[in-house]
Amino acid sequence: MSDVNMAGVPAAGEALRNVLRRYALHLSLLAMIVVSTLVSPSFLSGGNVSNMLLQAAPLGMVVIGQVFVILVRGLDLSVASIMATAAVVATSFSGQDKDAALIFALALGIGLATGLVNGLLVAKRNVSPFLATLATMIVLQGMRSAWTQGAPSGNVPPFFRILGSGSIYGVPYNLIITAVLALVFWVILSKSTFGRKIYITGGNPVTARLLGINADRVTIICYVISGGLAALAGLILSGFVGIVDNWVGRGFEIDSIVAAVMGGVALSGGRGTIGGGLIGAAILVVVFNAVLQLGLPIQLQIIIKGVVIVVAAAFYVRRKAG
Amino acid sequence: MTILRPSARRGFLRRNGSQTIVVALLVILMVVGSLVSSRFSTLANFMNILEQSVTLAIVSLGQTLAVLTGGIDLSVGSLISLASVLLSGITNGDPGMVVPAIAIVLGLGILVGLLNAAAVIWLKVHPLIVTLGTGAALQGLTLLYTMGPAGKMPLGFDFWAFGRVLGLPVGAIITVVLFAGTALFLRYTPLGRYIYAVGDDSTGAQLMGLPRAKVLLFVYGFSGFTAALTAVFLVSRFGVGQPYTGANFTLTSITPVVVGGTLLAGGRGGVIGTLLGVYLVSLLNNVLNYMDISSHYQLIVQGLIVIIAVSVYVEKKRKL
Amino acid sequence: MLTLSNVSKSFPGVKALSGMQLDVRAGEIHALVGENGAGKSTLTKIIAGVYQPDEGQMEFDGEIAHWATPGAAKVAGIHVIYQEFVLFPHMTVAENIFIGHERRNALGLVDHRQTRRDATELLHRLGVDIDPDRRVVDLSVADQQMVEIAKAMVHRAKLLILDEPTAVISGKEVELLFQRLQALKADGVAIIYISHRLEEIFEICDRVTVLKDGQFVASHSTAEVDRDRLVALMVGRDMKELFPPKADPAAIGAVVLEARNIRAAGRVNGASISLRAGEVTALAGMVGSGRTELALALFGGLEMTSGEVVIGGQSFRQMTPARAIEQGIGLLTEDRKGQGLAILLDVASNITAANLDEISRWGLLDRSREDTIARGEITSYQIACRGPQNPVVTMSGGNQQKVLVSRWARTCRKVLILDEPTRGVDVGAKAEIYRIMREMAAKGVAVLMISSELPEVIGMADRVLVMREGTIGGELTGAEITEEHIMRVVTHQNAA
Repeated sequence: MSDVNMAGVPAAGEALRNVLRRYALHLSLLAMIVVSTLVSPSFLSGGNVSNMLLQAAPLGMVVIGQVFVILVRGLDLSVASIMATAAVVATSFSGQDKDAALIFALALGIGLATGLVNGLLVAKRNVSPFLATLATMIVLQGMRSAWTQGAPSGNVPPFFRILGSGSIYGVPYNLIITAVLALVFWVILSKSTFGRKIYITGGNPVTARLLGINADRVTIICYVISGGLAALAGLILSGFVGIVDNWVGRGFEIDSIVAAVMGGVALSGGRGTIGGGLIGAAILVVVFNAVLQLGLPIQLQIIIKGVVIVVAAAFYVRRKAG
Repeated sequence: MTILRPSARRGFLRRNGSQTIVVALLVILMVVGSLVSSRFSTLANFMNILEQSVTLAIVSLGQTLAVLTGGIDLSVGSLISLASVLLSGITNGDPGMVVPAIAIVLGLGILVGLLNAAAVIWLKVHPLIVTLGTGAALQGLTLLYTMGPAGKMPLGFDFWAFGRVLGLPVGAIITVVLFAGTALFLRYTPLGRYIYAVGDDSTGAQLMGLPRAKVLLFVYGFSGFTAALTAVFLVSRFGVGQPYTGANFTLTSITPVVVGGTLLAGGRGGVIGTLLGVYLVSLLNNVLNYMDISSHYQLIVQGLIVIIAVSVYVEKKRKL
Repeated sequence: MLTLSNVSKSFPGVKALSGMQLDVRAGEIHALVGENGAGKSTLTKIIAGVYQPDEGQMEFDGEIAHWATPGAAKVAGIHVIYQEFVLFPHMTVAENIFIGHERRNALGLVDHRQTRRDATELLHRLGVDIDPDRRVVDLSVADQQMVEIAKAMVHRAKLLILDEPTAVISGKEVELLFQRLQALKADGVAIIYISHRLEEIFEICDRVTVLKDGQFVASHSTAEVDRDRLVALMVGRDMKELFPPKADPAAIGAVVLEARNIRAAGRVNGASISLRAGEVTALAGMVGSGRTELALALFGGLEMTSGEVVIGGQSFRQMTPARAIEQGIGLLTEDRKGQGLAILLDVASNITAANLDEISRWGLLDRSREDTIARGEITSYQIACRGPQNPVVTMSGGNQQKVLVSRWARTCRKVLILDEPTRGVDVGAKAEIYRIMREMAAKGVAVLMISSELPEVIGMADRVLVMREGTIGGELTGAEITEEHIMRVVTHQNAA
């Protein structure tokens, strides 16, 4: 029950504040970049920028999927595990391009299947997303462990290595891929009826059901998307790393959630955009890189990471409330 | 404020459903274990299980309270790491320093908890994010202090991890006492009841004038305290503190809580369920060991068990 | 007891209250009326310490009052029973009643047995039969309200504010409530009674204050004014007849929906109804008789354990909302914030939500078409908002309801079910909604209106069905539709 009167047109000062509020996120990113450049002049150097972009691209992919899941009131903690599994798949064959298609299909399949399991657990069995994705994360870890017998080995085919670390006209391939994916999914989320259904379901699943929307199906598809994107990100990242590494993607589940939240995606569901999530990811990458540039010891880097997370979230809350 | 919908009445079994499932699983595991190996059903083995479950139990206890208020504490793992290296580092073999070191470490745990709570209350940030951030910061601080094992504990300190009193492991006794005390606290003190109220409806609690700030400060302070206490037992077990020793505990402290029936949404559940959850996990590890299943598959099974435990008991899903 | 002078409060973009004054005496029941958006809720929250006024002064019990938190107001003796209740769903009735005032034993620990005993006694005194050990979430809404009242008694409030207390109860429960309020009044408690139900205000309140657009309009004793004058003060203009004329019996068409022997959720026990095109059927009955459950079952929101719904020449043993919408049924739910509205979205999205196909081209949203549709609806229903992109969450109850009505009016071709359509809606919007309902009927839609407000039932219905304990207990048409007759069927007394 609200008793707020709908008054007339907002005054000029109010309009400025509205603009600031709408673009606060973009402004924050800009501010971060400015500060970083001041702190470390080589921040905006070509080499460093391309470095950051290479790091940001896989994170961006995962963030897209995470946004979908958080929008339907969920969380996907299994993305890092899916990424690592995809990386293991990439190195499990001959290491030559003839296996590229097989690797792609298998890794993507695993990602999609995991997403399906997650979605079914959450939608049909009412399991809390935290637990469901935690459990699949653990199960995948075990499977990975068993497959490699604890000693991962092998090479990533050149195809993925190029995708992961190569570039064309100075623009990294993985960034192009991320951009394309971002565009596709942005269209799906903001411009399609399915996207509208996601927002309605995330806002209130009961309302969605009473509108004839199959809330379960919408939820499951979101988890499948997240799983698929994580698998892709894992393949790309393994291409970047080149050799096998059981810990590809470590930390991505936390980072992607943080990026999404900083980007305005509400943990309670129904609110947020892909663009916001990507900007959040960009902010994270900028901050981490800036800290790296400062040559600070790794310990301090981790501390700063922690502080930034809290400050950013607090700032976001302020912005929403103000 | 929530508009409340009438729902179907629940019987005792439904209400305590998840705990019943856990007990059932415990029984099944014990049967399986005894079939798998004759060494399973020995007193020595059970004592072993009790001994090994102490650390998980204590940290999960604090986590239970955080979850009851509808929050979560993801900083416990890093706090354990920090506490353990500080403990053995400060003591450094000197028996006279043991008590002061423990006091410092416990105090630190409480302080971190209060800081977490403060951020939740006054910065209004979600506990997930706050404790994530503090956790990261604490891990960094730990590594600043030492990159490897630090100092050492004097002889005899391993009493806490391995000692026996009346045939029972010391840690297990302390665990049970702590759990019982907390359960009584939750049931019989106003603050304990307010913990449930805040978890059930945080806005409502504020409207009713309940001391939400006090509740959160207490709950996270307690969680920090139990994390630090866990570190004491860990150091007792290993004789020295290590910077990554707590890493696993963050997520694994949540599993027994949820499996034991405390819902992540808050307001429902209790510590007894958590204790059952802890024993379930420990028993599971034990049985898997006897089954000679390689540690790789153990992970898979663990994950599967978690899924089973939480998805078999499902709140009756209404179509609305 | 309570005096407010020159109180103002603004939020970003709106001035919710300005120059407000109020004067409530001890031992009186003082009504607060006004349309939605008039400022009643803001005023309540300021009195209760949830908000702090920007200007002005408040005096309570002889002292200047400055509440920084709701807790402070509570300690001073102010207790509010909000329309949506503030109960802890998973705690027991007894615990809820005494939360904050726990019964302690000698050691200072919470004494659960004493709590239970005191709760039982309190509930007895209220004349209700509720098990104090049940969890609040398992209770009926009417029982929950009784728990709230019990809470108020425990807190020994000096000032009690009730926000729309009879929105969810009727009949005997209202009587009980009034008895309780009279008792409190006799004890010297000051009571502020906020309600849209003007008949009740005249029945139980001593004085009434009218608010409009955040400002004080007038304050009178209930003996001095009559209903029409009050409405005129609230709305600022003379209200013509509230209810549009009923249907000409000849205009009522064939049966479009027939429900046979529906059982659902343990609340509907073999109900059968048939709805005719062009006819407005009211479903009356006490709260808890199963009306909402029946509506949900017809729409597919609840599972039917047995029975069938026949519509469009097809028989359905199991309905789903998607099927219902396809068949041309629309349901405006009882709980607009929790079930009906996509509360995070804007007006346009809410209007088109039940029929996304209308604005979809190759799976993509046609935003401009959506915009056009929304603007059309906003104009024809006179929805007060800044435009189609206006978030619904900031709109008043009446306007939110109009958005929902427009949503369903667009999609339902055959049957429109409305569950308590004017609950929490101001007089101006009520008239609009009645007009819309009658228009729908005139277009050939069968309208089913669930309502607990007798004036509304009598004013709108061509036919009244009374639901009692899960089945249809009686049917009244034409001249039979009178207050007396309906109440008799509802309470199951034999006709004279």
